[in-house]
Amino acid sequence: MSRVSALPKRGFNLPMGEFRRLQRIPGGNILIAFIAIQIVCVAAGLAFPAQFRYLASANVSVMLQAIPTLGFISLGVGVLMIAGEFDLSVGSVYTFTAIVAATLLNDFSVSAWIGALVAVAVGAAIGLLNGLITLGFALPSFIVTLGAMLFWRGMILLLHGALSIGFQPDATFQSVFGGSVGLLPMSFVWLALLCVVFHVVLQHRRLGNHMFAVGGNRDAAYAIGIRPAQVKLIAFAIAGGMAALSGVFSATRVNSITPVGGAGLELQAIAACVIGGLSLTGGRGSILGIFLGAALTYTIQDVLLLMRAPGFYLDIFVGALIVGAAILNQVAWRSSRS
Amino acid sequence: MTTPIYEVRGVSKRFGAVQALDGLDFHLCAGEVIGLLGDNGAGKTTLIKMMSGIVRPDDGSVFVDGVPVVVNSRRDSQQIGIETIYQDTALVGSMSIVRNIFMGRELTGRWGFLDHRKMRDTAVDVLRTTVHISGIDNPDKEVGDLSGGQKQAVAIARAVYFKRRILLLDEPTSALSVRETENLLAYIKRLRDEQVSSVLVTHNLYHAYQVCDRFVVMSHGRKVFDVSKADTTIDELTRHVVLT
Repeated sequence: MSRVSALPKRGFNLPMGEFRRLQRIPGGNILIAFIAIQIVCVAAGLAFPAQFRYLASANVSVMLQAIPTLGFISLGVGVLMIAGEFDLSVGSVYTFTAIVAATLLNDFSVSAWIGALVAVAVGAAIGLLNGLITLGFALPSFIVTLGAMLFWRGMILLLHGALSIGFQPDATFQSVFGGSVGLLPMSFVWLALLCVVFHVVLQHRRLGNHMFAVGGNRDAAYAIGIRPAQVKLIAFAIAGGMAALSGVFSATRVNSITPVGGAGLELQAIAACVIGGLSLTGGRGSILGIFLGAALTYTIQDVLLLMRAPGFYLDIFVGALIVGAAILNQVAWRSSRS
Repeated sequence: MTTPIYEVRGVSKRFGAVQALDGLDFHLCAGEVIGLLGDNGAGKTTLIKMMSGIVRPDDGSVFVDGVPVVVNSRRDSQQIGIETIYQDTALVGSMSIVRNIFMGRELTGRWGFLDHRKMRDTAVDVLRTTVHISGIDNPDKEVGDLSGGQKQAVAIARAVYFKRRILLLDEPTSALSVRETENLLAYIKRLRDEQVSSVLVTHNLYHAYQVCDRFVVMSHGRKVFDVSKADTTIDELTRHVVLT
């Protein structure tokens, strides 16, 4: 068997070889960046525990609470991006579906369990509708879901109004989805679990392979017997369903829903995916990258806040991070080619 | 005459103002290699795509072993035993060679999980034994990084691995070197000995003359000349391609 060694031909020493191997796994570059940033942060946290409270349990807890909201959405948006489409409506769906669950609980005494299931189903259905319109009329999903974003945002105000709404599920629901195991919030546990499931589906199931194929070259996939529309519709439904799931988790965490709460999440999710090395043209990416992209977005924000950067300037740094990460990915991609 | 394994009668296909196929009759017998000739726009690629199931005819009928069939998708043509090497190779640049070869027909183990090792080993084997293309040392390489000839080799390897009865080759040698072309032509002959029929679309009449048993010349979506190798010469074929 002509198995090619992962070690480069020139005489790098072992750590360099390991480094190269790490670079080569999907999401490897972002993993390296993430580890490097964590090492610096932890070192700074240990050296200056009073000034830089990175390792304080309150800080760790806040970060682990914050990551899943974007993480769940990014997983769905990322899978859809790999299949070659966008969903800009996830922020609106996130709020709309959470309000559906809360309304069922508050006004119709439907249990939070059923309400959450209905919310996720509604989210998936909205995603599916986006997909049907996109594929049925051969439109860019960017435009269709831009319309959907405004449509569902408007529907929230029409059906519910601008007041925030309470969500007080039963104790079991609260502990399973909103509780924590030590420092680890349950939402983070669920996110990790879903990351594993998504990774297995993308890398080790036919469906995942077809998503990469359809996103990479739709015509080739079709010519070889894959049904691109079917694969893309599944990805659209996943994006909508994950947005709803994120909405339910957030509602459970803070026990209330703000009607404008989800605005901006769609772009943050795409940004997290880009930071995580996903291609905007589809067919390329990894779950590890999506997760780290979401985690890194919050880590940077957290670090800036700990360094007492004024909150309203945060976007400057997040914006720079996105473009910087995109440049880094591009450079790394080019150099891996030569 | 024996029943053709594949036959189309009176197929037509129109793309907007263009009549790509115009009442075409065409048949293929077991173990036969046909050279499908004609100038650009004659309808050769449309015929290949129709046989592959990715273009649906507007009119006409298809027979397999004399039995009428409906071929509406790539899956239908796959069931008939048709494999195609497309002119544009139909590969996904962002995926590895292995994943391209098994795209849509992934090998799975129990529980439906992909059998990556088996696919990789098979890919290495197919690339080494059937198409001797230089430079493909690692089946995990992305197809987008390959040269034109190497891409074509991957497309050929894929078709050859899954081949059953009919192999359709649409301009398969356009990006190949002289030696690689010779290898491919020799391979088509070997397949004929195993009763695999081929349809070779090419502009190179010398290549066609080397391996084909029969020649079909198309023009404006119609068949204008159909002759077995014994009854014709390269000159005569050239005249029909150029003048019709």
